[in-house]
Amino acid sequence: MGRETKTVAADTSTAERRQSDLEPSAAQRLSGWLKGYHPLPGVPDELFDTARRPRDHWLAFLGDFAEYPEADFRTRFGLANRHIRDSGASYRIYGEENERSWPLNPLPLILAQKEWEEIAAGVTQRAQLVEALLQDIYGEGKLAAEGALPAAALTGSLDFLRAMRGVKPPGGRYLGVYAADLGRGPDGKWWVLDDRTQAPSGAGYALENRLVLSRAYPNLYNAMNVHRLAPFFDGLRRGLSAAGGREDPRICLMSPGRFSETYFEQAHLARYLGFLLVEGADLVAREGKVYVRTIAGLKRADVILRRVDADFLDPLELNSQSALGTPGMLEAIREGGVVVLNMPGSGVIESKALLGFLPRLCRRLLGEDLKMPNIATWWCGQPGEYERVLKDFDNLAIGPAFTGISGAGLLTSPKLTSDMTPEEREGVRQRMADRPGDFVGQEVVQLSTMPVLRDGRLEPAPFVLRVFATFTPEGIKIMPGGFCRTSDRPDVRAISMGEGANTADVWIIGDKPVERISLMARREDVKVRRILGHLPSRAADNLFWLGRYLERIEGTLRLVRALCTSLMDAEGAARAVGDNQDHLTHLLIDWGALGEKAHASTTAEAARDALLDPRAWGSVINLVRSAQRTASSMRERLSPDFWALLLDLEGALANRTEAITSEAQALRQVETALRVVSALSGLTQENMNRVAGWRFLDMGRRIERGVNTCQLTRILAHDEATTDDLDLLLDLADSQISYRARYLVGLALGPVRDMVMLDPYNTRSLAFQVEILKGHLAVLPTLHEDGIVESPGRILLPLAAEVETIDAAQLSAAKIEKLEEALMAFSGAVGDRFFLQGATAVPTVKLMGLA
Amino acid sequence: MIYTLRHKTTYAYGNSVSFARCVLRLTPNSSPGQTVMRTTLKVSPTPTLRDERLGPFGEVMVTVLIDKPHEALVIEANSRIDVHAPPLPDASASQPWEQVRAAAFGSRGLEANGPAVFLYPTRRTPKIAEITDYARASFPPGRPIIEAVSDLMVRIHREFKYDPGATEVSTPVLEAFRARHGVCQDFAQIMICGLRGLGLPTSYISGYLRTIPPPGQPRLEGADATHAWVTVWCGEGVGWVGFDPTNAILAQNDHIELGVGRDYSDVAPIDGIILSGGNQNLTVEVDVIPEEAET
Repeated sequence: MGRETKTVAADTSTAERRQSDLEPSAAQRLSGWLKGYHPLPGVPDELFDTARRPRDHWLAFLGDFAEYPEADFRTRFGLANRHIRDSGASYRIYGEENERSWPLNPLPLILAQKEWEEIAAGVTQRAQLVEALLQDIYGEGKLAAEGALPAAALTGSLDFLRAMRGVKPPGGRYLGVYAADLGRGPDGKWWVLDDRTQAPSGAGYALENRLVLSRAYPNLYNAMNVHRLAPFFDGLRRGLSAAGGREDPRICLMSPGRFSETYFEQAHLARYLGFLLVEGADLVAREGKVYVRTIAGLKRADVILRRVDADFLDPLELNSQSALGTPGMLEAIREGGVVVLNMPGSGVIESKALLGFLPRLCRRLLGEDLKMPNIATWWCGQPGEYERVLKDFDNLAIGPAFTGISGAGLLTSPKLTSDMTPEEREGVRQRMADRPGDFVGQEVVQLSTMPVLRDGRLEPAPFVLRVFATFTPEGIKIMPGGFCRTSDRPDVRAISMGEGANTADVWIIGDKPVERISLMARREDVKVRRILGHLPSRAADNLFWLGRYLERIEGTLRLVRALCTSLMDAEGAARAVGDNQDHLTHLLIDWGALGEKAHASTTAEAARDALLDPRAWGSVINLVRSAQRTASSMRERLSPDFWALLLDLEGALANRTEAITSEAQALRQVETALRVVSALSGLTQENMNRVAGWRFLDMGRRIERGVNTCQLTRILAHDEATTDDLDLLLDLADSQISYRARYLVGLALGPVRDMVMLDPYNTRSLAFQVEILKGHLAVLPTLHEDGIVESPGRILLPLAAEVETIDAAQLSAAKIEKLEEALMAFSGAVGDRFFLQGATAVPTVKLMGLA
Repeated sequence: MIYTLRHKTTYAYGNSVSFARCVLRLTPNSSPGQTVMRTTLKVSPTPTLRDERLGPFGEVMVTVLIDKPHEALVIEANSRIDVHAPPLPDASASQPWEQVRAAAFGSRGLEANGPAVFLYPTRRTPKIAEITDYARASFPPGRPIIEAVSDLMVRIHREFKYDPGATEVSTPVLEAFRARHGVCQDFAQIMICGLRGLGLPTSYISGYLRTIPPPGQPRLEGADATHAWVTVWCGEGVGWVGFDPTNAILAQNDHIELGVGRDYSDVAPIDGIILSGGNQNLTVEVDVIPEEAET
């Protein structure tokens, strides 16, 4: 029998020693895991060394881990995972109905400090090298001029931005964050698979993964001297802050918006780091500087952490189709008026064409050898390399030399020639012959495996580790941890890692206890401030609409409730049921909760449709989803509880197994939903700071409530109103109890109108809403300090005066309509004054007199 | 040949525009083939801010910002230019095209006129196998590059119908290619796709062409138009040579260059962002007046 086929039994002697300290059931579980774990032949593994001995730090972890009773473990991990999902790390991609489960392995990747130090040194050097390379490419261009780097190895990249050549990067650097994707090769050494320089993602996910695991197993986490991530983020923040060049610079995280795959990560990072989350339309470039549109006017943006790809950054100079950028941004960068990191153009480094040049460039630029090798890569734009790739064609992977539109025909990522069909191979050869510079040949690297837990068993899974570097005032700092992706398939070839992989936290185990630091600043650094905050206009806009949606949800739910109960009450009260139902159905149709044909349907059907009909734009479910959409584009401003309740609200309606067939069923659902709405209201009143954001949310609610009250009163408290009408109005305006307590005589038009419209003590009345709105407006900032009332005030103040002085007898339908219109005009004026003015920006049309 | 040029663009807006920010690439540049004697750029209403600098391809970029309400925007460029194209190189003595390709991929320097800059596909001129294969017929192994490119140019001129109504600025190149029709921009883009598909550095030129009125008729004012053609890098010694597929001629003293780029986006005469909800009405008037003709 040949040596290579002989299977070596796992050496479990250390494991047995470890097991002797354990509870019998834990020991049994541990031994079961280890016995059932079979690394792939010839592939290095993180858990077992080459002699199939479990490594000490893994054994320590798994031993403790085994002590969690099975059920307890599930609950712990499940709870922590769920908590994180609810709190913002969710994975829902726009358009998908269901939230993706956060694909996190319960086991972290564990690396010992000594090994980590080598990785950190390698990544630090690489970050330095990349920065030096960028300085040359966009500065003197000596490397290309002297032939050290062919010009065509750069110009193929969509991120080689000619517009940034010769521009001194404001803040002095090109990079704020650099990341490298690493894999461990068959020799046990770490390799660089890819560089990430455009706008590396994943640091926020790493943070989220850490939160889940440290909450799931706090004791384990604390006992194992796991290096903390917080100092890295502190360094990132201080690095960006220092680049801003003034005390307390305003730092923005520029996001492509909620359609971006990694939007939740961006929102999470912005909240964690205390940066302003902005989109292109929130920013204005003027006279060589960039400003944020806020409710208090334009406020300077000093530093922008960029998550928008460079090509989309400035429609005026780059991709003119981009709606994600800010016109004039490049000009502001040229003028030095804003620090943007990573500098637009940094993404050029991600081209695979450059990989093969790095060892030489490292010696030339840094005067030292590359500490961590990258996958051997040959750019076919050079005749010698092209020949070499052709000669070894069958054993290599062929990939695009550049990303984006310059991609090599049908290949979007490297592919093994041995995995191609004969036609594919022929096609690739032909395209390579036409344009050799579009391609690279790459050696096929195998990855190592790490243990993952699947169905209670340990299994080896290939993994890739993304390591982050940031540039702090004290130099480059590496995140002690990272973003680890594992593959579901046992294919260890590096290029087979799919995008749909799972993730794992990364624990770097120190030799001694780690210092406990969080992002808390040192006391003397922090000045106490009490301010309203410069709320970005877009956030104000979203909060305002969220407020309006929430109120409309409540109003519609009340209508549906009244619809259901009108029939039930009717049994005892023998009232003119038909009239009430007609009114309610009309209102529901008016509000878009029911289609025009709703009159024909039964009460139960109408109630069901008003709640759940996806085709009716005003149905409760659609309103809830609109509220969620609005909320999702400012997740960083809402508390996790708030978001969780919004999800609950949808759940209360949509996740019902039983179909609604009776009024009673509909009523139960309405009641549940109304309770969630009350919880949301309570949360906003008691748990949101009274900064500007809350005021806009509340203004939205108040305006919507005021308008709804006007409408209901017009329809139900007209001059010929019956007592049934008035009774219904009091129901809908939630004023029955107040009314009965105050007026013992029964229902009368004047008192009902007064109570619903003019009573300043009734929290549902128009007067009450207007009074509250006045209070909000008085506190919000003005654009000029000349004491002149701005347009929202010019509408609201006369309205308030009228509501205060008018008599209930004068409240004709026409009069009420006037008040309603004034309130709508106020809403419009708030929009014009505080929200995005740039929302209507359009490109000029293009047309040439072409010959 | 000396030309007087007038290029007037008028935007008439349906609604008042409160804010406009535009990049204008309407100022011609001197080059070995032409000398700009005088050039002015007038913008009305008068911009609040106006800034001028060289763009990524060495072009003059004027940035204007207008932040007062206006119903119309008028941009008028006036220039006087002496065009003196160098003599045409000997086509049959030019390098075999494969050598030019290898030299381009191996070239040094990132200068705006270097071949490496014009080697790669762009959004408007992507890599399209169909167009590459069409071009390939003109490129048997070892053929001198100017001969091969001229052949491709003549084929496009012969096989494609000139039809001003058939396409727009935004028409994708493949659509025009398949329909075998279009205007100068389409033909230039098709030629670029074909040549770059074979690894040859090709640039998009926007500019003007001298038009000669029918015998006995006066030149109509404003009736001229902007024009587009390509230049191809034909090796270290020869450098860039202009080919006009719309007219099947090499660019000489009738062609006046305004901008050089990888595709139309790099040389668009006006890129602007305005704040407005209404419609926009655009008219362009161009006059290309040879000075001899005026005397």
